[in-house]
Amino acid sequence: MKITINNRSIEAREGERLIDAALRHGIEIPHFCYHPHLPVSGNCRMCLVKVENVPKLMPACNMHVAANLKVDTAAPEVARARQMVMQFLMLNHPVDCGICDKAGECRLQDYEFEYGVPRSRSLEPKHRKRKLHVLSERIQLDNERCILCSRCVRFTREVSKSNMLGIVERGGHAMVDRATASVDDAYSDNVIGLCPTGALLSTDFLYKSRSWFLEPVRSVCTGCARGCSVEVWRRKKEWQMRLLGEERNRSAYRITALPNPEVNGPWICNKGFDLHKVMARERVSSAQVGGVPASVDQAVDRAKNMLAEANSPAAMVSAQASNEELDAFAALAKALGPRLRIYVREDCHAAPGEVVEDNLLIKADKNPNSFGVRERFGSTRLDAAAASQHDLILIWGEWQESVDLGAATVIHLTAFAAAGPQKPGVLIPLSTLFERSGTFSNFEGKHNRFDAVFAKPEFAQHATDLFARLAP
Amino acid sequence: MTPDSVFHNFAVTNTSHSLEAYRARGGYQALEKALTKLAPSDVEREVTQSGLRGRGGANFPVGAKWSFVNKKSPVVYLCCNADEGEPGTFKDRWILEHTPHQLIEGMLIAAYALNVRHAFIYIRGEFDLPLRRLQSALEEARTARLVGEQILGSSFACDILVHRGAGAYVCGEESSLLNSLEGRKGYPRNKPPFPAVRGLYQAPTVVNNVETLSDVPWIIARGGAAYAALGNKANPGTRLFGISGHVKKPAVYERPTGYPLKRIIFEDAGGILGDKPLKAVIPGGSSTPVLTAQEIENITLDAASLQQAGSMLGSGGIIVIAEGTCMVRVLHVLTRFYSHESCGQCTPCREGTAWMNDIVERIGSGKGVRADLENLQNIPAGISGNTLCALGDAASMPVVSFLKKFRPEFEYFIEHGRSLHEGRLEA
Amino acid sequence: MSSLQQKFEELSRTYPPQMRPSLVLPLLQHLQEEKGFLTSDDALAVADCTGVPPVQALEVLSWYTMLYRKPVGRHVIKVCHNITCSLRGAERMVNHLQRKLGVKPGETTADGRFTLLTVECLASCGAAPSMQIDNTHHDGLSEARIDRILEGIT
Repeated sequence: MKITINNRSIEAREGERLIDAALRHGIEIPHFCYHPHLPVSGNCRMCLVKVENVPKLMPACNMHVAANLKVDTAAPEVARARQMVMQFLMLNHPVDCGICDKAGECRLQDYEFEYGVPRSRSLEPKHRKRKLHVLSERIQLDNERCILCSRCVRFTREVSKSNMLGIVERGGHAMVDRATASVDDAYSDNVIGLCPTGALLSTDFLYKSRSWFLEPVRSVCTGCARGCSVEVWRRKKEWQMRLLGEERNRSAYRITALPNPEVNGPWICNKGFDLHKVMARERVSSAQVGGVPASVDQAVDRAKNMLAEANSPAAMVSAQASNEELDAFAALAKALGPRLRIYVREDCHAAPGEVVEDNLLIKADKNPNSFGVRERFGSTRLDAAAASQHDLILIWGEWQESVDLGAATVIHLTAFAAAGPQKPGVLIPLSTLFERSGTFSNFEGKHNRFDAVFAKPEFAQHATDLFARLAP
Repeated sequence: MTPDSVFHNFAVTNTSHSLEAYRARGGYQALEKALTKLAPSDVEREVTQSGLRGRGGANFPVGAKWSFVNKKSPVVYLCCNADEGEPGTFKDRWILEHTPHQLIEGMLIAAYALNVRHAFIYIRGEFDLPLRRLQSALEEARTARLVGEQILGSSFACDILVHRGAGAYVCGEESSLLNSLEGRKGYPRNKPPFPAVRGLYQAPTVVNNVETLSDVPWIIARGGAAYAALGNKANPGTRLFGISGHVKKPAVYERPTGYPLKRIIFEDAGGILGDKPLKAVIPGGSSTPVLTAQEIENITLDAASLQQAGSMLGSGGIIVIAEGTCMVRVLHVLTRFYSHESCGQCTPCREGTAWMNDIVERIGSGKGVRADLENLQNIPAGISGNTLCALGDAASMPVVSFLKKFRPEFEYFIEHGRSLHEGRLEA
Repeated sequence: MSSLQQKFEELSRTYPPQMRPSLVLPLLQHLQEEKGFLTSDDALAVADCTGVPPVQALEVLSWYTMLYRKPVGRHVIKVCHNITCSLRGAERMVNHLQRKLGVKPGETTADGRFTLLTVECLASCGAAPSMQIDNTHHDGLSEARIDRILEGIT
């Protein structure tokens, strides 16, 4: 159907909200409480627009399009209403920008510059509220900064359904609060991105960097077979400075959700928000032969010989591997011939207390590419009986198993120094998720690509290169 | 009941609220007529023809509200709004204390028209005698098979349940009332959808004021046309006007709509205490714009006349203020009230009511400055029409009208740091 | 069976079965009648009973003026200070009670007998000034009438 916005005729869809129809055509109607994936609240009053033949301004978030609707978002009374809403929001809002992590990516800040008045007209002292409160281990809540848009409450009520958050007290005393200390939420950190001000902040990221020093790189979470799209934030090249040191120049400062309608919608789970911690674990920093540090070349040569000479070699493929790496391994396997038995596995398992599977995003398989592995290599698993038939086992990826590998010699290719199988004959360090690019296939077979965030360190090998070198 | 009176047509005693007394004055005959001679749609038609408008303050045509309900829905609810809280209003209390069966009968007839099986009365948590009398009336009604199954031997069944509020003025707003009834905070809802379409637990629901529902038996007994012939043509009938403040005989008076405001103050209510001159009148509950003594000269108590004068009929709570009263202090009482009652959900009301109160309080403590008056003009302009419910407008109108009509008093207080009238509130 | 459970079962019989959440407020009011004031544990118990999320019962407890979250005196005196009552002497009544009881609005007497509160319109403007003591309404107040009323309270 056709509707008119600011004298422009635009095409709108049946059942669409005015605010969405406008945005689709590049007309931004400012808003705080509205979010396309949350139930409508209509409380911020920022999206008020003028509708022909209606005496009052109407919220665009709660209006469905109708044929011949005529809307004006540029009228002087609309500008005045926005100005007043901003004045009301800023009335008691602490001007914390100088010490608030949200600065630079804060909707309240942006709208204040665009729609507000330059000076407050209030002569009253600001009303104080609870500040810098430990909402949970992961989230800091500042009730003074909060504009009570209720996005966070609606998220925990309707999306994660944990009902972890609510708004208590009446009128001007209203404040967001946590139900009880025992109510928790595996998706809690989504409210940090939802919050249009610095009221809800990540404790992990607190005070680590100004937002404008950072840039996002698209990646994929490896925490489970959903493979949610994420953004990994690194320091922009022009903001990397010698005085900061290697670590601060080259680290992943935080993870945020990257909306992906095909895979995860707008959300990720807390494990996704912690992805950078997984990648920051202690690395295998040197190749080893026979338990003794060696050069990569030495280790590669030794491994190549072992593979050529073994009577009954086996390989355990990694479900953390990208499709490109799996293809490279398939080429190696072809070159090595049918002598090589290939086994599949889930490298990583749920930790005690971790959510196994739910109705939202979390899958029981804690690896990003079991699908890609299954596609190429089937589903045979290695048990003690099978292991006893092999004299050489190449293990690719992390080792969380407890299978008895018998007397087989082990070649272990892995990035992290977590406990491995019995002393491997050869150990070769690999690059991490952040140091390479590729694609995973999630549990539904959907491809999702991730880009390299950093260059790999000298000592680490890309699996794709390594497999090419290991071929006879 | 009598031809021109719906309420004040019997002697109030300490038993006149009983079922027996109510029956003696013709009670429950309208219900019988409805159940035996009228179809539900006939009942609605009579109410529509009567021109009855909501008596809670919104003044919305009752028949129209009822018509929005899809009676074929599996569940339809009726809620009586007995959360009387508009300052200056005390008429629903009168009905509940002295003729609660009239409300019950009205609710039953409405329930019949709307296909309601479960009806609720959301009542002020503070109410003492009104609650006790209502509860005993319901007991009597249940025992007499007027409420419950097979009412008056017919196939019509309806239960009425009393649900107490707990101290929130905003719960008198119909959608806030529904949220409160559902076990939540009384946050008003976005509209659309309206309660008649999606109300209590998302089912179609009609919310009507106590007086509104109590008008229904008379309308069914004597016909909608007869009601439409009473009072003012554009919004007909009688209303229970509560008049209070600096008058000699504050009370509830039933008068036809269109009754002269001056008459109700100086005749019915006996004039001003101490025969002082009149200073101001708030005509329809504290949320309606205040009028000066000069302004009320020709005003009649109907919507058109009051609107023309820049005010509203509202809830019919007339508050009378005598000469010598400090209007700054009076306004502070109101700004304190609205900021206390703001539910906190939407930006302009939550922040704006507190801001206005801070300013008026500061002026009233002698620390006002000139810039305050500019703010007191701009803030209501930013609230009015921009809020999620009418509480924002209700809070704005006193500020706008007091400043408009009594500006010199505010200027004096700011200039001299004290009240022009020694801070006087009493007459 | 606890008194909460008893009241819950009693109310469940009067409300339609699909309206269990509606019992949150009446149950909190019932507990307050017994205990004088409510804690968040009471809200959690009511949430448990009615099946609403704990946070909802906590929100309700914090939002309604008639629900007390701090201990109150054996009797709570609530004096209306809204417009008509103010026009008819509410300030005088409050001052009188302040002097008489030795507390300010919001406070409880040292002997734990009375808590004094100011409240908003009680819808009895025709007989202003008005007050309530616990569930009992008193209007047409004067200093002398207040004295007589208080004398009648143990």
